[in-house]
Amino acid sequence: MEQLNSFWTKIGELHPLVVHFPISLPFVLGLLEILSFKKGKDEFQLTARIILYVAVGSSLISIALGLQLYWEEGDEGVLIQKHLWSGISSGVWIFFALIAHFYNEIKSYRIFLALSIISVSLAGYFGGEYVRMPEESITTDLPDLKDSKDFNNFNDSLELLRNQSHKILQSYCFDCHGPKKSKGRLRLDNLEFALKGGKNGPAIVLGNASKSEMIRRIKLPKDDDDAMPTKGKRPTAAEIKLLEDWINAETATNSKIQNKVSQKNVQSKAILDEWMESPVQPVVNSSLSEEQIVELNIKVRSILAHSCYSCHNATKTKGGLRLDKKEFIFKGGEDGPVLIAGYPEKSDLIRRIKLPDGHDDAMPTKGKRVPQEDIELLEYWIKTGATWPSGPEKSLYRVAELAPRNPILPIVKGINHPIDRFVFTYLKSSNNTFKQSISDAQFIRRVYLDVIGLLPSPEEVNRFLANINPHKREQLVDQLLNQNTAYAQHWLSFWNDLLRNDYAGPGYIDGGRSQIGHWLYASLKNNKSFDVLVRELINPQKESEGFIKGIIWRGTVNSSQSAPMQAAQNVAQVFMGLNLKCASCHDSFISDWKLEESYAFANVFSTKALEIHKCDLPTGKMASYGVLYPALGKINASVSKEERLKQLSEIFVQKKNGRLYRTFVNRIWAQLMGRGIVEPVDAMDNAPWSQDLLDWLAYDFANNGTDIKRLIRFILSSKTYQMKAIGVKSQEFVTASNFVFKGPLRRRLSAEQFADGFSQVFHPLYTDSMIAKKSLPKEIFKEIPFARASLVKNDAFLTALGRPTRENVTTNRNVQGNLLQALELTNGVKFNQALLDGASHWVQRYPLSEQLVQTLYQQSLGRKPTVKELAVAIKYLGKKPQVASVQDLAWAMFLLPEFQFIP
Amino acid sequence: MIQPFNRRDFLTKASLASLAAMGAGAPILNFGNKAEQMVASADTVILLWMAGGMAHTETFDPKQFTPYEKDMDANRVLSTFKSVPTALDGIHFSEGLEKIGKVLDKGTLIRSYVAADLGFILHSRHQYNWHTCYEPPQTVAAPHIGAWIAKLKGPNNPVIPSFIDIGQRFTVGESEELKAFHTAGFLGNEFGPFFIPDPSQGLDSVRPPIGMDLKRFEGRNQLYKNLINKSAWGEVGSDYQKESLQRSMEQAYMLLNSPEAKAFNLKDEPKESYDIYNTGRFGLGCLLARRLTEQGARFISVTTEYEPFVGWDTHENGHTRLEKMKAMIDGPVAQLIKDLDKTGHLDRTLVILASEFSRDMMMEGRPGATVKEQVAQPDKISEMKFYGMHRHFTDGCSMLMFGGGIKRGNVYGKTADERPCKTIENPVRIAEIHQTIYHTLGIKPDTNVEIEKRPFYTTPDGKGKAVMELF
Repeated sequence: MEQLNSFWTKIGELHPLVVHFPISLPFVLGLLEILSFKKGKDEFQLTARIILYVAVGSSLISIALGLQLYWEEGDEGVLIQKHLWSGISSGVWIFFALIAHFYNEIKSYRIFLALSIISVSLAGYFGGEYVRMPEESITTDLPDLKDSKDFNNFNDSLELLRNQSHKILQSYCFDCHGPKKSKGRLRLDNLEFALKGGKNGPAIVLGNASKSEMIRRIKLPKDDDDAMPTKGKRPTAAEIKLLEDWINAETATNSKIQNKVSQKNVQSKAILDEWMESPVQPVVNSSLSEEQIVELNIKVRSILAHSCYSCHNATKTKGGLRLDKKEFIFKGGEDGPVLIAGYPEKSDLIRRIKLPDGHDDAMPTKGKRVPQEDIELLEYWIKTGATWPSGPEKSLYRVAELAPRNPILPIVKGINHPIDRFVFTYLKSSNNTFKQSISDAQFIRRVYLDVIGLLPSPEEVNRFLANINPHKREQLVDQLLNQNTAYAQHWLSFWNDLLRNDYAGPGYIDGGRSQIGHWLYASLKNNKSFDVLVRELINPQKESEGFIKGIIWRGTVNSSQSAPMQAAQNVAQVFMGLNLKCASCHDSFISDWKLEESYAFANVFSTKALEIHKCDLPTGKMASYGVLYPALGKINASVSKEERLKQLSEIFVQKKNGRLYRTFVNRIWAQLMGRGIVEPVDAMDNAPWSQDLLDWLAYDFANNGTDIKRLIRFILSSKTYQMKAIGVKSQEFVTASNFVFKGPLRRRLSAEQFADGFSQVFHPLYTDSMIAKKSLPKEIFKEIPFARASLVKNDAFLTALGRPTRENVTTNRNVQGNLLQALELTNGVKFNQALLDGASHWVQRYPLSEQLVQTLYQQSLGRKPTVKELAVAIKYLGKKPQVASVQDLAWAMFLLPEFQFIP
Repeated sequence: MIQPFNRRDFLTKASLASLAAMGAGAPILNFGNKAEQMVASADTVILLWMAGGMAHTETFDPKQFTPYEKDMDANRVLSTFKSVPTALDGIHFSEGLEKIGKVLDKGTLIRSYVAADLGFILHSRHQYNWHTCYEPPQTVAAPHIGAWIAKLKGPNNPVIPSFIDIGQRFTVGESEELKAFHTAGFLGNEFGPFFIPDPSQGLDSVRPPIGMDLKRFEGRNQLYKNLINKSAWGEVGSDYQKESLQRSMEQAYMLLNSPEAKAFNLKDEPKESYDIYNTGRFGLGCLLARRLTEQGARFISVTTEYEPFVGWDTHENGHTRLEKMKAMIDGPVAQLIKDLDKTGHLDRTLVILASEFSRDMMMEGRPGATVKEQVAQPDKISEMKFYGMHRHFTDGCSMLMFGGGIKRGNVYGKTADERPCKTIENPVRIAEIHQTIYHTLGIKPDTNVEIEKRPFYTTPDGKGKAVMELF
């Protein structure tokens, strides 16, 4: 049925085409009559007869088609009525003319013909008018209120609403309900038509949007039978709101009741007035310097970015308002301009962010409200003229240099070590000097823990203390770095955290990540250079492929967590100190990184070309291929994934990728000094406390074979490393952006260092059978002094002491004391059993209390007990130590802050 | 209206703002901005976890009962148990849950929980989703709801850990996946679960180490203090790191030495009461939860324990297995509600009984999104072992809520009476459940922690809405 209907509509639409034919025929007949009248002959009569037949026939067809169109479209406009009747009458007259001609009634024929010519002219005129009818504004038919001064104000704001409503109706409705078509006998291109309505009654009820059929229908869900528009885009909520406002406001005008005009319209009018009146060039507060204007502008953009961008940007533009670019901010949205330079109190932006939460107009509608200090800053900015420097915009975010830099080494008298020369210069600039160096006893303990993660034996301590060689510290560092296996067993934990490699964890059930332990241990043991490590992780062999393989959970996974995207996030974080997590889902609100850039990078790791998904919805756009920083080079998209990864690995390790080397030297620095030169170590765009030092270390590292042990040796041999540690005063102290370096921070033993120290001194916490032997090379059993904690699966004891679950890259362990940890240490089964077992051995080995205390102090703390300490301990043990009391003493000793902190 | 704002003000504000903007890796807590003041109606939350997928049609939402016959048509079977009346008119439970039925007038039955559609089913992944409100994998380690509550509300009683997890062991299949959500994630270990795998051994977790009497325990602690005071380090004086270490040791000492620790000792419970609860580890877990609630616990989870193909994870013998499961929970759960009600604690304690999803005999997944089958279910039931709900069904699960401001004697939501027995009225999803729980505690929906410079909300995007009809 519907198909049939549309067929007839199509046929009807032929009417304008067919109609031009009969229009000309009466005129031709008229011409013939004039000619025959002049010549007095009848030689044209046969021709006239034929033309008459054709004219009558074609008129009939035109009328039939015209009627069809009329009924189908149900248009009831005045023009169409006139067109219809004049068209029909011209058909009737031409028919009569034929009859008259047939009976040779020439006089009557001429009269009928003349009438027909007049009718067809009128029909042509009305038809033409109808088709060409301008898309007049709804407002043109409204009562003119302009002369009534009282209503000028809201009339003007209403004018604004009308114009906008008209535009909305024009884009969504006129195609079917306009001059060309009036489906359901409804036209909406004129308020009169809309009020009259169509088949189903009025479309609009003045002053009552909620009773207006048009509003009801455009609000219906798309698949509802009554929903409008039936084709094309649907109006946005904001547009509907505007139409409602307009309909509600129309009453006021017509009934001349001022109060009914919503407060809001008056207000937007006021804002508009202000805007029009405010000078083109706002007054700039002269107390701000050029530099401050730029700074203020950056603050303003930061606030807008933080609080507003997510709904007012290029991809999501609520209320037609964008706040991410200068021109849009000043232009405003559907509700008009949002700010008036110089007048924060009149700016809609300020009004809305100040409204209480829950108010209809309050902004932002989701997320945090704008903090008071940010509101004040925006007000200040608008008050001082809403200044916006011209020219290219500075990024809101600090973006670190990509290229390497080789800063000039400062010359400092009496100091040779490059690190110390930079640090001395830095300290001097902040009115500090080198802190006192730690003692030899402290140094040997610190450097043992840092290089091999173990405690020096009392013999080693004594030998070191007795050594009078002035270079003994450097020699010790070398000697420790040469203990390849002990070094590998310690640094394994750092790398496992960084590469989220663990001996057990989620994601192994359904494929995805795999172990890289064999490869990693061997690489560390052989001091594989950093650039080779990076190459082998990005462009992996079988044994190192686990890193770029994602953690896969069974089922469907959010596209921002697909395996290639995980690879992109992890490679960016680990090697470039870059957070791509936000930009994996949408354009980032905390950096300049875009969704497309993340996808282009992820695509490199993907076997199948990726389609860009925004917030887990497909965009229909395929990702390109890229390496985040175009300056580094390009990926050839047409090759296989393996080939791409090879290209990527080569691109990454280039010397010109200064960021790669800065990121890594900063990680090692943080590991050895308690805080990075840049912090957090995964946010390399943050400002370093010394750019020169960071750049120099990175440059030196990149140009000396990227030798990791060399880097460690270099740092450990500096006076800077050997300074007294500084206590951490609060958690925030470490991460504060205004951090001032005064020396290395006091660090707590890691879970592994604590466990190994205890195992070494008192009793092994783990046995060889607990080593994750499948994940590590076989020869490891010959290379360990005891089952070291870095080689076993995570357990409650290590977790309590801060070993992370390695599902995500971890570069900052939580080493704060807390109740759960203290409980584990106080009555945890594992620790207590080891204490008990150890105590049983110790009482046999050291039958005398004093001897036992002396040994325990030297082995655990690397020093002899003081007289007072000895007295307290012996008092507890009694003369002959018992298992229980030794167990208690050992417990207390290992929990002493002195044991738990690196000197 | 507007405070005069001069240049110096601007510069101070600017530096403050930049300081905040630079905010580094440490999580920054934001308690939410929503203007309405929220008043907590609960101080304690007890989660009774039916691990492994509890079939709604066999428990709290029974359908037409079809008794077992050899070679019966599987498609006919909606429930393998008779229905029994509850304290509420017209509301029936499945046979075997009579005791809980009798206390239903004290709480609300939700019959319309719709689990997330995560595709091909993995129990631990759905459990992760239930307990964290997020779907794994995540770019940061998502915290368990207990850890959120521990972080946001702190302990009710300083010597009782804020987040206690009773009954789950990690020596079973999928244990690594279970560990992935039994964590405080980025909130830090401090807010992580205090595990009591076996409630009858609960006391061991909170008393001095085995073999150590109180006198020795106190002596050991004194020795520790003396050695600190006498050591060179001790004399150096105050230090933040050392203090935080000592403070936590002191806290542990207090807990292990506190009278409240006795609450962990189930042997102190009168025999009569103990016996009602003693249906095994789950039942005793309920008893421990009750005793800890009385002493001021914050969040306690008691689980029937997840182990693949065990407990509620019925891949076969569904009917016979459920007889046992219902016997395991019916008495203790009902008694827990009665006891808490009698002492008045129920008014301030929210008790929730829930499972990661439901089960059905025929459908794996949900209508419109069926997934790869994991259970062999013949169309003709030739043996008793095929008689039961064995497939994983996500579109209609039952849940119970008692106390903490939850309406008494209320039923919310509905499932279809014919297969698929899916939710047909008032669907409730996980974010709504979480915010309903947070609501009772007075935690605002937009509460979040800033991690790596972006907000991580208690429910995704802070969009979870409390189901107000439940109050």
